Amino acid sequence: MSTILLIIVTLSALAFSFFKDRSKTLRSMKMAKGMFFKTGKDIIGVLFLIGLILAMLPESLIQTLFGNSNHFLSGLYGAIIGTITIIPAFIAFPLSKTLVESGANLVAVAAFITTLTMVGFATLPIEIEYFGKRFAFVRNVLSFLFALVIAGGMVIIL
Amino acid sequence: MKIKKMVLNNKLIIFTVFAYLAVLIYNDKIFIKGIINTGIYLKEMLEIMPAIFIIAALINTWVPSEIIMENFGEKSGLKGKLFSLFIGSISAGPIYAAFPIAQSLLFKGASISNVIIIISAWAVVKIPMLLVEIKFLGVSFAAARYLFTIPSILLIGIIAEKFISKEEILLKADMNNEKEDIIKRLEKSLPGFNCGSCGYISCNSYAKAIVNEKENINKCVPGGEEVKKKLNLILIIMVNYLQ
Repeated sequence: MSTILLIIVTLSALAFSFFKDRSKTLRSMKMAKGMFFKTGKDIIGVLFLIGLILAMLPESLIQTLFGNSNHFLSGLYGAIIGTITIIPAFIAFPLSKTLVESGANLVAVAAFITTLTMVGFATLPIEIEYFGKRFAFVRNVLSFLFALVIAGGMVIIL
Repeated sequence: MKIKKMVLNNKLIIFTVFAYLAVLIYNDKIFIKGIINTGIYLKEMLEIMPAIFIIAALINTWVPSEIIMENFGEKSGLKGKLFSLFIGSISAGPIYAAFPIAQSLLFKGASISNVIIIISAWAVVKIPMLLVEIKFLGVSFAAARYLFTIPSILLIGIIAEKFISKEEILLKADMNNEKEDIIKRLEKSLPGFNCGSCGYISCNSYAKAIVNEKENINKCVPGGEEVKKKLNLILIIMVNYLQ
């Protein structure tokens, strides 16, 4: 639903832009096309790679790691697995539910969801392309550490 | 040399192709599962990215820097941070969709901390996905996650800003733009036959080599002395102009 909303907003902005200034709109479209071809190639490569990594990770392995009786360790495993994969949120939530039902610790699932979405090992090349190495490194390391904090905090209050 | 460059430019894709081939030999079930997984991601990407790029480009051409600086700049304060949090959390798409938009805002004057807040909120605070999360993991899980995540995001932005130089990122982007400018001018002065006698596939790749690898300017056979003079002039003028 949010995708449809995004497309509607984009189309209205584009129509408004076209109505106000055609040459500016044309320039914007050229720019968008350029960005699409420049980063598109990298994004597609990354997506194929994640698809493969996810296919190789057996679910039973994830369950063993997430169900570790040591809460800190299972949180760490959750954060690490979330870091090396990216799964769209609409798949991640149902998957997390299955994991919890089959014995995963809450702390692991919380860390998993946070790093899954916020830390991107796989998207690192794209981030570097846009913002440089230092930015990408600092942001990802900080996000990883805070994912552990978030997961720890959740365990305390839940 | 040329092959090495091509490999370096496409190392991610080449690596992926090899990984798939290796898996295909080892276990074709995993190969097929990988392709099916990728199909789901590609569909998501194609639905979202064209719109994202268009919005990023429209921000670039339409929104005046003053407005971005006032609302997202270094002096925007807490209001700017909350505003960034809001923009990120109402957006759709995976984290890589946040990069083009965040970059446009950065170039228009947003601060590093606000750009990072937008990216992080875009990734983990998803108002459109809140109902899905509640449905699968329960209200208390979602509420607790948001309670800790939102302050964390603000802190990540504030801490990261101390380690990252915005000037460095802007300068690099500037230099890339200027490089591309010179390449375009050089290419215009080349005959455009793409004959390959210079040793490069096209006039464009020859122009790129002149700028990026300091390739000699006397390699264009059909252009001869005349083109060489033109190229020389462009380089002298542009380099002086840049300094």
